[in-house]
Amino acid sequence: MSLKADRASLAFSFKGGLLPMTVMELTSADPERIREQLAGKLSQSPAFFQHTPVVLSVERLDEPHLALERICAVCRAHKLLPVAVRGGSDPVKQSAWALGLGWFPPQEARARSLESVPVGDAEVAAPSSAASGAAEPAAVPAARIYRGTVRSGQQVSAPEGDLVVIGAVNAGAEVLAAGSVHVYGALRGRALAGIHGNAATGIYCRELHAELLSVAGNYKRLEDVDPRLLGAAVEVHLSDDQLAIAALD
Amino acid sequence: MAKIIVVTSGKGGVGKTTSAAAIATGLALRGKKTVVIDFDVGLRNLDLIMGCERRVVYDLVNVIQGEAGLAQALIRDKRVDNLHILPASQTRDKDALTPEGVEKVLETLSGDFDYILCDSPAGIERGAQLAMYFADEAIVVTNPEVSSVRDSDRILGLLAAKTRRAERGEDPVKEHLLITRYNPERVDYGDMLTLEDIREILAIDLIGLIPESEAVLRASNQGIPVVHDQKSDAGLAYADTVSRLLGEEVPLRFHEIQKKGLLSRMFGGGRR
Repeated sequence: MSLKADRASLAFSFKGGLLPMTVMELTSADPERIREQLAGKLSQSPAFFQHTPVVLSVERLDEPHLALERICAVCRAHKLLPVAVRGGSDPVKQSAWALGLGWFPPQEARARSLESVPVGDAEVAAPSSAASGAAEPAAVPAARIYRGTVRSGQQVSAPEGDLVVIGAVNAGAEVLAAGSVHVYGALRGRALAGIHGNAATGIYCRELHAELLSVAGNYKRLEDVDPRLLGAAVEVHLSDDQLAIAALD
Repeated sequence: MAKIIVVTSGKGGVGKTTSAAAIATGLALRGKKTVVIDFDVGLRNLDLIMGCERRVVYDLVNVIQGEAGLAQALIRDKRVDNLHILPASQTRDKDALTPEGVEKVLETLSGDFDYILCDSPAGIERGAQLAMYFADEAIVVTNPEVSSVRDSDRILGLLAAKTRRAERGEDPVKEHLLITRYNPERVDYGDMLTLEDIREILAIDLIGLIPESEAVLRASNQGIPVVHDQKSDAGLAYADTVSRLLGEEVPLRFHEIQKKGLLSRMFGGGRR
């Protein structure tokens, strides 16, 4: 007997997938009112009602018991196929399962559990604009904007896009970004841009005192920086695998 | 409800205990019911600075572990009404402090006092974190010296992340900068960081500037908080600090080189 299952002998395999799905957000639990509205819609856009799978969202209803079977029958009569229910009380969940429908937790609860992904110990919770940017289709990763002083021992990172610090980065602090690092203040700590290897990134700051500058793994220590550039507004980028520091004004 | 103020710094030897003792005494002299708690378990010092070391029977750890009541452990100051001291234990270590125990002590004191000052140990470990955890305000004691400024910066980061207010998402701990051991002459020579340098790096409000003064060492060794010495520059500067803590506008002094008069130059009058 082989430990490796023969691919051809498998009846199926599980694949993760995200399919577009119409959510029917119910604001009334009355099957008659639903029937009336559906009849109106059906006459307006008959093309939509082609055994279209829908998820019945009952989150906005405040009723522990729903006439779920009748609501489903009304939907099917108008060529909508309820495949699952989202939200609702425990009895609603039980009756969904009894009707052979799936059940999803309410959206707010899921959104919250996604948002509260724990951050590292030294990481400071900061208002991030990444959340709003993520909803846009094929968006460029949004910049993370941090307001205030990044203090010694703190680390602020933008693992996907640029990092913008509106304030100073003090000695002993570390700011990192997959994209570029912009510091609108004094940069006294460590700044690392292009942490995933993107060489087309840079570091920009109003006042250079950085302990360490790194772009895509190429670094310079404060000791290696031309003393004339200390305290100046500079940009740092890669040029022939060497860090080039140029004054901005 | 008392206002809980932690006196902290990260770095040791910058004047936390001296400042906690002086400010607590100053608040009591202004009529505020004040208690000052020594969180430096194992390195008990506050009682010496307050001059009550011979009256210590029970301490903070005894109270937390239920071996003594709070009333038994609190020491009433001999010089000022309204002032009490809760000493640290010299024989235990900081593991004897528990968040629940500290919370209970602070809660009980909160009903009886206007101000609770927590004198933090140096460092950023358990003792220092427990001293700051329940604070409403923080006085960050900093010397005009690079390592002290960096350690204060680190403490400010912890105040913003590891306090009850931060964890509950409430208004942040109000941070005050207290610069101690400031010597305008040495600043002028470039030996010390300037007031402006420190303020720029730490970016918080200045609540006081205490000049380097012989009066401080003298006060410590006598066990009389320096704020009682109203002839000394340091004593006056601490009194100013207390006024600012109470919301009064007081102009800054002792931050510039004082022109010496002919007599004091002739007799070499030091800063007293």
